[in-house]
Amino acid sequence: MFKKSNFIERSLTGALSFIKGSIFAEGYASRIGFLQSLDPRIKAATFLLFLLQILFTKNILVLLYLYALCLMLAQVSRIDLLFFLKRTWVFIPLFSLFIAIPALFSIFTPGDPLVSFSLIGHKLTITHQGLSGAELFVTRVITSVSFVVLLSITTKHFELLKVLRIFKIPQVFVMTLGMCYRYIYLFAEIIEDTYLAIKSRVGTLVHYKRGQHLVAWNIAYLWHRSYQLNEEVYKAMLSRGYAGEPAVLTDFRFKPKDLVWFIFAAIMFTAMRKYG
Amino acid sequence: MDDIIFELKDVNFSYLGKYPALWDINITIKRGEKISVIGANGSGKSTLLHMLDGLIFPDKGIIRAFGKELREGDLNDAGFSRNFRKSVGLVFQNPDIQLFCPTVREDIIFGPLQLGASKIEIEKCLEELTAMLGITDLLDRSPHQLSIGERRKVAIATTLIIGPDVLLLDEPTAGLDPLTTRHIIDLLNLASSSGKTIITSTHDLHIVEEISDTVYVFGSDKKIAAFGSSSEILKDERLLMEHNLVHIHAHRHKDIVHVHPHQHTDHH
Ligand SMILES: Nc1ncnc2c1ncn2[C@@H]1O[C@H](COP(=O)(O)OP(=O)(O)OP(=O)(O)O)[C@@H](O)[C@H]1O
Ligand SMILES: [Mg+2]
Repeated sequence: MFKKSNFIERSLTGALSFIKGSIFAEGYASRIGFLQSLDPRIKAATFLLFLLQILFTKNILVLLYLYALCLMLAQVSRIDLLFFLKRTWVFIPLFSLFIAIPALFSIFTPGDPLVSFSLIGHKLTITHQGLSGAELFVTRVITSVSFVVLLSITTKHFELLKVLRIFKIPQVFVMTLGMCYRYIYLFAEIIEDTYLAIKSRVGTLVHYKRGQHLVAWNIAYLWHRSYQLNEEVYKAMLSRGYAGEPAVLTDFRFKPKDLVWFIFAAIMFTAMRKYG
Repeated sequence: MDDIIFELKDVNFSYLGKYPALWDINITIKRGEKISVIGANGSGKSTLLHMLDGLIFPDKGIIRAFGKELREGDLNDAGFSRNFRKSVGLVFQNPDIQLFCPTVREDIIFGPLQLGASKIEIEKCLEELTAMLGITDLLDRSPHQLSIGERRKVAIATTLIIGPDVLLLDEPTAGLDPLTTRHIIDLLNLASSSGKTIITSTHDLHIVEEISDTVYVFGSDKKIAAFGSSSEILKDERLLMEHNLVHIHAHRHKDIVHVHPHQHTDHH
């Protein structure tokens, strides 16, 4: 019974630290690997090409090929594959639930019936078109999510912000993005801490109802608290001379390796546009 | 006139317009002074330091810094703000707020990088400073995985590396072991003897005499309750008691409980 009573809290903090781990795995950015050694500008530009390709293509083979490429890149960038798969597939159920699964059925995707069954008196039919559409969708999501996660965990936070600035994204936008990023981090962190604090105060023997109550109270309070903290952190950044323009230590420098990689990506992009 | 760094005239400030934090504050701080701000919890010490650092601005009254009135708009000016940030550095009371980069190294070099220092210079300062504070081993760790005392040392380093003329420190020695406290005091005195202005808020009465010539006592009404030379203030037991700065120790001699106020003016 007590196991059950902590379930909500456990899954909540679990989910948060999972998200924290996926988005903020900064340790990978300082490892020595292929993607980490590329010029961040080139890396971001080529990843953008891949993402465009993923959006345009209707060919599942192209998507699978790109996904394989992404996993390979993760491998040569010394990223633990299991970690990477776990962190990227976690987003799939979320998307699937709302888009892919409904799309399976004939109501949303009319076409040739594949299987039919009835559920609470309604006849439901999964169509061929629906199935392949859902397949395409899931592959597209997992591939683009993987590329985005890969870019963000192999690039240092401030370098990424700086690249955005180089790409002429307005300062206000980059600054806001930076704040959001930290905000989510603080939020996750506070939840973890508060959970520990509550546990130490009331012990693990929280009654089911009371546990629920604590969680409800937490969420409102925690948003507020992390918002406040975020403002304080912003003050601390100002105090040390931050003026919205991220500065980084390493100069961005093109190396022959960057050129080779860029040419490779560009050739692939054109080939896939043509034959994909 | 030139050597007046900060001048606060009848300054009032409240958070969100309803939680008063500073009330009728008048302070003048000259170049090279060593100042302590003491007072009970919630008496406005941190608020004062934030104001001196140009992070918040008076609701009423004025603050002048380096002979010029300090207004919010001025700090939006890139040139002025850069100069001001280079000359004034604040160590926040809560190191968790001050440290926001993924690694200690990135955090320490954040300030000088933003302020446009050269790379060679930054590397050199980083090496010296971390050696002095004994945190070289922590450089590649995440600040959030350090002990509280280690975090505080890193937080101090992030401000010291900017090399500001005016150092504002919000309870810099809270949670530090005696030896590290000693290091910090030595560091502050070194900085002071090279002409820097040092303003520290603290509850630690036994460091007050070493790190300050002048002491301001803040009351729970957010006003300045008293100020004077550090030896004068530290002698005034009644004043200190009134502001929660000494505590009562009870001893048992044979069968009689003997109570006397107890100041932390020296180590025991
Ligand atoms: N963010 C805030 N929002 C609202 N009120 C605040 C905020 N920060 C401080 N205050 C209030 O302002 C007053 C002064 O706070 P301040 O932090 O300056 O005190 P302090 O002397 O530094 O205390 P301590 O010794 O606990 O650090 C307190 O009454 C506090 O409740
Ligand atoms: Mg304080």
